[in-house]
Amino acid sequence: MKSLALGRYIPYSTLIHNLDPRLKLSGMVMLMVLIFLKFSNVETNLLMYGILFIGIVSLLKIAHIQFRQLFRQLKALWMMMVFLFVVNILFPFPVNPDWYLRVGGITIYFDSVIQTFYIIIRLVLMISLTSILTTSTKPLDLTYAIEWFLTPLKIIRFPAHEVAMTIAIALRFIPTLLEEAMRIMNAQASRGVDFVHGKMSEKIRAIISLIVPLFISSFQRSEELANAMEARGYNPSAPRTRYRTLVWKHIDSYALFTLILVTSVFIYLQWIGLNIVEIYASL
Amino acid sequence: MPITFKDVSHVYSAKTPYEFKALDNLNFSLKEGSFTAIIGQTGSGKSTFIQHMNGLLSPTSGVVTVNGQELLPNRSPKKLKAIRQYAGVVFQFPEYQLFEETVEEDVMFGPINFGKTKAEALVIAHQALTQVGIDASFYKRSPFELSGGERRRVAIAGILAIQPKILILDEPTAGLDPKGTRRMMDLFKKLHEEGMTIVFVTHDMNLMYGYATDVVVFEHGTIQVTSDVETIFDNKAMPKMFVKPHLIQLLEVMESFEKPLLKPVRSIDAFVQVYQSQTGEKR
Repeated sequence: MKSLALGRYIPYSTLIHNLDPRLKLSGMVMLMVLIFLKFSNVETNLLMYGILFIGIVSLLKIAHIQFRQLFRQLKALWMMMVFLFVVNILFPFPVNPDWYLRVGGITIYFDSVIQTFYIIIRLVLMISLTSILTTSTKPLDLTYAIEWFLTPLKIIRFPAHEVAMTIAIALRFIPTLLEEAMRIMNAQASRGVDFVHGKMSEKIRAIISLIVPLFISSFQRSEELANAMEARGYNPSAPRTRYRTLVWKHIDSYALFTLILVTSVFIYLQWIGLNIVEIYASL
Repeated sequence: MPITFKDVSHVYSAKTPYEFKALDNLNFSLKEGSFTAIIGQTGSGKSTFIQHMNGLLSPTSGVVTVNGQELLPNRSPKKLKAIRQYAGVVFQFPEYQLFEETVEEDVMFGPINFGKTKAEALVIAHQALTQVGIDASFYKRSPFELSGGERRRVAIAGILAIQPKILILDEPTAGLDPKGTRRMMDLFKKLHEEGMTIVFVTHDMNLMYGYATDVVVFEHGTIQVTSDVETIFDNKAMPKMFVKPHLIQLLEVMESFEKPLLKPVRSIDAFVQVYQSQTGEKR
């Protein structure tokens, strides 16, 4: 548990940490859209990904996120990358069938390789982006932001507050459950369970010895929490004020403006069919 | 020496804002055949300490030696299972680690993990259950329908069934009623008399004084005092926050009235006996 997972909130006081969570949430969505934009040709795509990459890396830097942590997380994607690569080679959709490489009877199209590369860089950028959001924003602030965005839906009787409350409680209990899981794993390890090595059947048994007690204690906890909330007269539909309110600051407006500008520029360039090869040739 | 600690430190989440030094350059050796109490405030490193005793944690610097096996920093020890079997750890609230369908199956879980056959494990399980005072009528029942105290005894039987040489208990009496506490401690006393080395964490000075032979006092990740139990409260280094046991307070009051008890006692029962023979009173 004590090993630091990527995405866990880390209390620094950086520019990004101090931004409004609503801004950070919408900003993440905007940048996410940019990651998925597709330009006219490979060169332009690579250039745009390069720009996004530099942008996101500088955001990571500003938010004080350790690259070491990020790499450790990305290492888990390693198998997926191989899988994607294999699938892309076996089922090619070459736009440019003339560019290929023959390796032992298998035709590897240049487009297969570049497709895989696109997917990987998108994944890397997306993970970096979400990790910026979650490491720089308190989970509770994030729920407030979600609640704020859901509030207009109250008109169609969508239970915005209840949903936000549920998310808040779920988030609140992640560390608790992790700690509980760690405790149970320690206890079972003391009884000779090996969670890492061993045959498949032994591993399944090991997992059962963790899952069953974890479920039981989770149910117990939820019941206790429900009782405690009811004992204090919790009524989900009651109008309530909040101890901490979200305050929109000047800096948030500037950041929002910048984000909208960047997003518009990217979308505009995509819309007019930017092609750097042509531009380069015309120079 | 069955377990020794040499210059052991343990740091959680090193190089992050969550960095926490739980053990700080600690030296200790456990006396064979002792009944050692570990006392200290919450967060003083007791739990981290006992997790080193059966290799659940490795030191971040220094060496822990368990039964001749060395636990070194950043290296997973080779014969981990042997260590786990040598030093059985019962964690706080062990009743939450039960998961099998019947009581006897749950107690058999440990011995089977350590390589016993089902038939052998069943015999051992019944022995362990008898030791903790759970009779045959419970064997086929689900652990989840037992009372809290019974469940805890089943869980302790689960550790006894792996037949450890050293039994380590983290607050074994937390949440038990006075009668349950006494039964539990008497069980450990019996095991101790049968030759087992016992280590237990406690916050209760009366329990410590009534049962332990040796005491280790933790403060801020280091051992402040190691002493035998008789002289612990005469030790200058003993932090003042630990209130003397009722029995010592009583003896001190008697001395102040110049009617001291003539023989040293460690339990209320012994006190009553000595007092009666001293004054010739009978009730």
